[in-house]
Amino acid sequence: MDEWEYHPPPDIDESMSEHLQNFPRQPYMLVYAIRSIAALLLRGWMRVYHRMRIDGRDHLPASGSYILVCNHTSHLDTLCMLCSVPLKQVHRAFPAAAADYFFSNLPRSAISAVLINALPFDRKAKGAESLTVCSRLLENDGNILIIFPEGTRTTTGEMGRFRSGIARLVVGTELPVIPCYLEGGLGAWPKGVLLPRPRRLHLRIGESRSYSHLDKTSASVREICHDLEERVAELGRSNG
Amino acid sequence: MTFSAAISNDIFLTYVMVIVGLLAVAGLLLGLMTALGKNVSSVWRTYRGWLVMVPLVLGTILLGRTATIVGVALLAMFGFKEFARATGLYEDWWLTGLVYLAIVLLGVASIVSDPRLNYPGWFGLFITLPAYVAAAILLVPILRNRSKGQLQQVALAIVGFLYFGWMFSHLGFLANTNYAYGYILYLVFAVEINDIAAFTCGKLFGKHKLRDNISPNKTIEGAIGAVFVSLLVPWMLWFSFPHFEPWDLVLVGLIVGIGGQLGDLVISYIKRDIGIKDMGVLIQGHGGILDRIDSMIFVAPIFFHVIRWIHGIR
Repeated sequence: MDEWEYHPPPDIDESMSEHLQNFPRQPYMLVYAIRSIAALLLRGWMRVYHRMRIDGRDHLPASGSYILVCNHTSHLDTLCMLCSVPLKQVHRAFPAAAADYFFSNLPRSAISAVLINALPFDRKAKGAESLTVCSRLLENDGNILIIFPEGTRTTTGEMGRFRSGIARLVVGTELPVIPCYLEGGLGAWPKGVLLPRPRRLHLRIGESRSYSHLDKTSASVREICHDLEERVAELGRSNG
Repeated sequence: MTFSAAISNDIFLTYVMVIVGLLAVAGLLLGLMTALGKNVSSVWRTYRGWLVMVPLVLGTILLGRTATIVGVALLAMFGFKEFARATGLYEDWWLTGLVYLAIVLLGVASIVSDPRLNYPGWFGLFITLPAYVAAAILLVPILRNRSKGQLQQVALAIVGFLYFGWMFSHLGFLANTNYAYGYILYLVFAVEINDIAAFTCGKLFGKHKLRDNISPNKTIEGAIGAVFVSLLVPWMLWFSFPHFEPWDLVLVGLIVGIGGQLGDLVISYIKRDIGIKDMGVLIQGHGGILDRIDSMIFVAPIFFHVIRWIHGIR
């Protein structure tokens, strides 16, 4: 008789806090259940409290992995982006979140990992390592990475320069990058304010971009950064 | 079992005093050994684990019958989850979810009354549930039209439900009995004492391996010592079940002494077959939940049915 094969998960020796900090995370039924309920409640809350409007949903690819890129004015950006993806894909949508803030202690890690499904992104020391995690994530079919290339929330409303990480991730690949612009985030929840105010939010999803025609050079990286910045800013300028 | 019954119940209050007293003495001893420069840091970790678990267990029993049954069902679910994750069954969310649901049903059967009888706990449903659950589990491959690897998945699910769900849930059903406080507290206390006795006797006198292919640290001397200690415990805790005859005490002592170690060995060979050291990491210094409740899983149903046969459960 052949022996049975068991497949214990790689994180079996790890404690709860390690489970939360690790990435990629092992799937847990309870976590999926909580996240699904949270996503439903979030969608209702965004529609009622912020009268959220989303334009250009049809630009989201129906299959395959892709990257959503958005301007960053408040924490509502992440929540809004999570509302824009189809509900059944919510467990495969990973907002890249600053590890030094969102995974700094156990309660924050729990919220980030369980409710937001955040990808811990080290924006200082190990940027390259975090990018490797991102590209490995996107190699699997059907994953969605949500990135704010400005790297931090703006306090003035002026969009900051895009950092090169996103460009280095997509240069020379077929990965679709979808520029988005969220309007109203700064007024609704500026940095340093405890709770969001009931202001309108309007998310515009632009047309998908791909950079497979470019070589992996620093000139291409600059070009991609510039192009994406332009596209996002353009969405911000458009009325409707 | 209610909150007000618990705070006026002599058996419950005596156990609380005994357990708190033992914890205090153990803490003092450990403090003394640390002061004398002995390296007892791993024991401290285990001790801190106890300081978390004891209030949780006593608090749940204090809250009453429903809380106790719910608590046991939750432990059974988490225990099963550890088993499912370790074996890889957890990747199959349909079967895992079905077993979770079945464990919830065990809890419900323990809480509600039999529609044709008017006392709490639907014993008939509780005892026959494994037949329905096994049938439901066996149906899953048919429903999804799949055969590859299904025998292994189904077998793991049935063992997981029967052992970690149904057998362990007998502890919760004891909350419906006439001596609920005595039975439950005796079992929890005696099983832990049995574990500690096996460990201590093994360390002190251990020479001959008990089952070297399963658990190389267990010795025959440790096992005999634990059975000996477990035979003494019921005499000291006779107040828990004042209706017991002396030979009943011998019987429950043997059930805990032998059953407890068998439960330990069952988890040991499961872990060894899978190739892992602990079932998980949940309680500091104690491994996973299954590493803690392993003995109880074996003892609870045997104790329950033997007591029911001799004395009835109400």
